Amino acid sequence: MDFLVNWISNVPGFAVPFALAALGLILTEKSGVLSLGAEGFMLMGAMAGVGAVILTAQPELALLVAALAAAMVSMIFAVLVVILRVNQVIAGLAMVFLCQGLTSLIATLEGWTSRAIIGLAKLPIPGLADLPVVGRIVFQQDIVVYLTLPIFFAVQWFLTRTETGLKLRAVGENPEAADSAGINVSLYRTGAIAAGAALVGLAGGYLSVAVAKIWVDGMAGGRGWIAIALVIFARWHPWRALFGAVLFGAIEALIPRVAAVGIQVPQYFMLMTPYVATLLVMIWAAMRGNVRLDEPGALGRPHVREERR
Amino acid sequence: MASRADTGVSGPPPAPRQRGGFGRFNLEIRQHVSLLRQTVVLLAGLVIGLAATAIVLIAAGVGLGAIYDEFVVSIFSSSMSVSAVLVQAAPLLVVGLSAVVAFRVRFWNIGIEGQMIFGSIFATFIAIHDVGPESVRLPLMFVAAAIGGMLWIVVPALLKLRLGINEIISTLLLNYVAFNFLLYLLYGPWKDPKSAFPHSEQYEAFERLPLVGWENITWALPIALILAVAIWWLLNVSRFGFYARFVDANPKMAAAVGVPIVMLTLSSALLSGAISGVGGFVVSAGIEGRMTQSFFLGYTFSGILIAFLARSNALIAILVAVFVGVLFVAGQSLQVFYQIPGSMVQLIQAIIVISVAASEFFVRHRVHWVRGAG
Repeated sequence: MDFLVNWISNVPGFAVPFALAALGLILTEKSGVLSLGAEGFMLMGAMAGVGAVILTAQPELALLVAALAAAMVSMIFAVLVVILRVNQVIAGLAMVFLCQGLTSLIATLEGWTSRAIIGLAKLPIPGLADLPVVGRIVFQQDIVVYLTLPIFFAVQWFLTRTETGLKLRAVGENPEAADSAGINVSLYRTGAIAAGAALVGLAGGYLSVAVAKIWVDGMAGGRGWIAIALVIFARWHPWRALFGAVLFGAIEALIPRVAAVGIQVPQYFMLMTPYVATLLVMIWAAMRGNVRLDEPGALGRPHVREERR
Repeated sequence: MASRADTGVSGPPPAPRQRGGFGRFNLEIRQHVSLLRQTVVLLAGLVIGLAATAIVLIAAGVGLGAIYDEFVVSIFSSSMSVSAVLVQAAPLLVVGLSAVVAFRVRFWNIGIEGQMIFGSIFATFIAIHDVGPESVRLPLMFVAAAIGGMLWIVVPALLKLRLGINEIISTLLLNYVAFNFLLYLLYGPWKDPKSAFPHSEQYEAFERLPLVGWENITWALPIALILAVAIWWLLNVSRFGFYARFVDANPKMAAAVGVPIVMLTLSSALLSGAISGVGGFVVSAGIEGRMTQSFFLGYTFSGILIAFLARSNALIAILVAVFVGVLFVAGQSLQVFYQIPGSMVQLIQAIIVISVAASEFFVRHRVHWVRGAG
């Protein structure tokens, strides 16, 4: 029982990076922009977050800095795919490698690498935190875990209940029609890239500031790619993405606990599980029917008004 | 509306792009672009990328003179440093060819590193377990490496063809699986007992690619060059290559006239994986003489970069691989003499891809400013 509570109470912390990153990706991809740069934006957020904690000693502020840094670097991506109509796969991959190089370079030159920092503190809810079982699982988390659900509600509401959200989805489904209706396609896509990258950056910042409490090169460890797979699994639906994120959070939270209870599996095989699980989840999603039916109609297709036929 | 049509151009009429009081940009799509113009614009993109690189290096504390010294003078001043570049260029060319083969059929192989790892694991298995007589050990390792790399791409290739699963994500995820398996071997059953470091035992002399007789160039380089010519023949001369170009240009038409698209994609993907596996063999048996835990680092993106800059042409890839080899060698000396982290090389490559990709916009479009029209 104690094992179970211990495990489940750790799930939210591991699930939040997946959840926020997947949500950011959904926001970007709903505008028709294929965002393969997530791993890079996550690293940028993680590095900026640690840097900000070292400079200001304020973890909450550092999370904002993380989101902002990722949004800023995503503007390079926006210029490439929105204005210069570069192939979105090439641009996304280039962003990943640009951010890998840049974060490693900055962190090394500034001396931020492998330096333990004061992390984001837990925020027990007075009165509720002492409840048996539930208290530990639900009410002894940090501020980002508490805010994740409201953020999901807000994005879902924005996408489905506001005119701006409707226009954003129109741009993603059929940019030519949206353009004819007077919607500024470039502006909407740029905004969606920035907002999405901010969420992915927040996920990265959470990873370094709240979970690991340290920066090491490449610490996102493929979570950005897993988030991309989660979006496909969730068929661009925020609540299903949250479900997937919790699933992967549960797997990740389980890894360090398997060895602790004395089950002998070589650790490197345990470390493979998130990636293998991602593959299995993608296979499962593909077997249930054509994923393409649910993806935004213009995903990955640049809008070139002059090429309208 | 000012419309300046090129001679011989019958494109759609230019449309207004931005409305404003002072004027606006007009974009025209170029229908036909001369090879010369393409080359000039892409080289301009390359130069801009290198200039941006110089700015980053200067910001990191390396002087302009030092940049010139490291990237130009010291590279071409001695036969030793030239050979260092060529030694580095050999595996780069191999992974570049792997990317060329895959991209020709629009298969995004982002799993080059995982395939290199499995290529090296298979070759190392032959070396550790002394499979076959000594005289054929190296050819056996070569073949095993190709098979290892091929096996590591079978699953993503089949998943893409059967279930339509995005190969970018599946090949990339398998890199992490391969890496963890490599660590398991190097920290476990295959760890060199004579060393504190996690790497395999050193290969015997006959399990390493021999020197060709000039500086420290090994047979890795001739192998890579032969491979480049073979791939060029396959893609530009043979029927296979003709089919591949057909599918690339118009998949529906190709399917309609009976081009075996599935077989074409599958065999190209498998070939790409096999070549990446050989790339792992070339690093392990040609440079390091054993399997280490980081021999593959950075090769995926370099392979993509080489295929991208070479316009998927196997012969041009030779030149680009040498160019990237210069970056690698200069990056190593920057690391030693200026404490610039090795990730700088990765950053430089990313900047170059971005600037060249961006410059393509000016190959395909004509931009002109229209005054006054509101």
